[in-house]
Amino acid sequence: MQPLSPLLRGAVAVSFIVCLASLTILVVRTFSFGKRPLRARPRGSAAGGIAYAFGAGMMPWEKESARKHIPTYTAGILYHAGIFASFLALLAVIMPFEIGELLQAAFHIFLAAGFAAGTFLLAKRMLVPAMRPISCPDDFASNIIVTIFIASAFTAPFVPVASTVLAGMSILVLLYIPLGKIRHCFFFFYTRILFGLFFGRRGVLPHHAAIEE
Amino acid sequence: MSDTPRFPTPLEEKVSALDEAMLAKGLGVFLSSIDFRSAALLNSCVHCGLCADSCHYSLTIGDEKSLPGYKVGLIEKVFKRYATYMGRNFPTWVGAHDFDEKMVREWIDSLYGRCSMCGRCTIGCTIGLNVPSLVGAARGALAAMDLVPPGLQSTVDKAVTTGNNMGIPTQDWLETVDWLQEELQTAVGDPSARLPIDKEGARFLYTANPREPTFFPLSLIAAGKIFYAAGENWTLPSEHYDLTNYGLFSGDIGAARTIAETLVKTMERLGTKTLVIGECGHGFAANRWEGPEWLQKEYGFEVKSILEIVAGYIRDRRIKLDPSRNTKRVTLHDPCNLVRHGGIVEEQRYILRHAVSDFVEMTPNREKNFCCGGGGGQLAMSCFTDRRKSAGGVKAEQIKQTEAKIVVAPCHNCIDQLTELNKHFKLGVEVRTVCEVTANALVLPAE
Repeated sequence: MQPLSPLLRGAVAVSFIVCLASLTILVVRTFSFGKRPLRARPRGSAAGGIAYAFGAGMMPWEKESARKHIPTYTAGILYHAGIFASFLALLAVIMPFEIGELLQAAFHIFLAAGFAAGTFLLAKRMLVPAMRPISCPDDFASNIIVTIFIASAFTAPFVPVASTVLAGMSILVLLYIPLGKIRHCFFFFYTRILFGLFFGRRGVLPHHAAIEE
Repeated sequence: MSDTPRFPTPLEEKVSALDEAMLAKGLGVFLSSIDFRSAALLNSCVHCGLCADSCHYSLTIGDEKSLPGYKVGLIEKVFKRYATYMGRNFPTWVGAHDFDEKMVREWIDSLYGRCSMCGRCTIGCTIGLNVPSLVGAARGALAAMDLVPPGLQSTVDKAVTTGNNMGIPTQDWLETVDWLQEELQTAVGDPSARLPIDKEGARFLYTANPREPTFFPLSLIAAGKIFYAAGENWTLPSEHYDLTNYGLFSGDIGAARTIAETLVKTMERLGTKTLVIGECGHGFAANRWEGPEWLQKEYGFEVKSILEIVAGYIRDRRIKLDPSRNTKRVTLHDPCNLVRHGGIVEEQRYILRHAVSDFVEMTPNREKNFCCGGGGGQLAMSCFTDRRKSAGGVKAEQIKQTEAKIVVAPCHNCIDQLTELNKHFKLGVEVRTVCEVTANALVLPAE
């Protein structure tokens, strides 16, 4: 792979810091909307609810929307796996470090699958009529820049200029994350915690055993 | 946003007369009702559309406006426009929209007219957005602009001004309890059986839906019969017996707070330790979970569902049931506010397993159960009746699949909706409360 210039490496690092700082500010800013303690006595376990939210609650046997949309659910998983693999590929370009052939092959499979998944999700958003009323330019842009990011990670080992493209795309993605819906990379965890807290405190989830005699 | 919704008078007149000041008022109320939780949720929707299958409106009516993601999107558009950097500066890019008359019409049509606040979409949401809480915040803005659909608003007004949502005078309530007591005495063969009123030092205060003394007196007698069999020390209040709180549905938190406080004061007046909510989904959620938040105080008493009490009686052998007295196949409808939002999930099943000989679950059930369509104030909003009945098609299909003859629903709003669905979809079932079925199976002490 073509090594990156110190300037470009620095730009990537700065973008990462700006992204992280901006997301943190966005999360902290939500508290400026007001925080009131909950007064109703809990009936169940908030911790149990949160564990459910991140565990069983995301599995297709529990989550109906996942079960009924296996292609989209699978595409979502592969897309995110591709994104993580792309950031690892970016690290490999910045550091740089060598990885074994088997691991390289695994990376490329994840990247290829991630690119295919991103393309599938973009096509779905463009072609399925029900998606149009719930979509805005940000939805399309987020998908496009991330999918190109994955593509550049895939090609980086093979095409000399692709490392530079990868770095450039990573700067774009990192700076765009706080501006659009990709911020869900942070907010997903926040919202799942709230989901778990709500249903856990109320004793709804995780499921309780039937009442014994 | 597509075709601009219109409404029957007087709602249409009020919407057409909206001015800048009124819009600013509504917007102000909306933004001030956003706390850190709602702010997090409104930053999180990924517009995946997978919520479509979770919603009975979306599954039956099938248009874009019935999709939970669309409804959340309407709220998100306004939040982004006024509370986010991108929404303020690049609204088109992120889909932000002004809070104008067009948006208000969409809010009324979708958030009152296509949502029962059942929360099934929350369970199915990729991210886990608490959709009812967002819909509630938006409804609050509409309530501040006096844009609550008339039937729902009048129900709230009656509860605030008279102490119960049907405006039943106290004297009528007391006279009804009196003759119900006579019926109870006949039913149990004991002239000393009581439906006590204002008994100080009772273990618990039992509350009812005002529809019970008016339209469903048998359900009150059923509860009385169970308490009699258990030898319970309980009481009804002479005033403020209404467990409902339609402020939860209208979005008017001020009214919700007033109504909730009424029951709190009744508890304090009588010195009872436990407030027992009769069979009502939203009544339980409103009093058990939301009331302390509206009033911003921990209650000095417990709040329990009647189902917890009856399940306890069975487990502790305080009542004896003979399931052979209920031989018809029975299925159970899980009221959304009782189960998904309330946490009362297993008690009703435990009771039915002891009270009936043939109990079959609907599929799906528990927190995944489909809304009957009667929640969210829908039964009070006549302008959306056709949609409500249509949306109940999912529940009707669930019932048909069980081949049950009796549908048990521990909620009077659900009972009303299920009764309508029974007629509309020709289901040929009877609709009962848990207490009615249990009372039928009771083996009285004298037997």
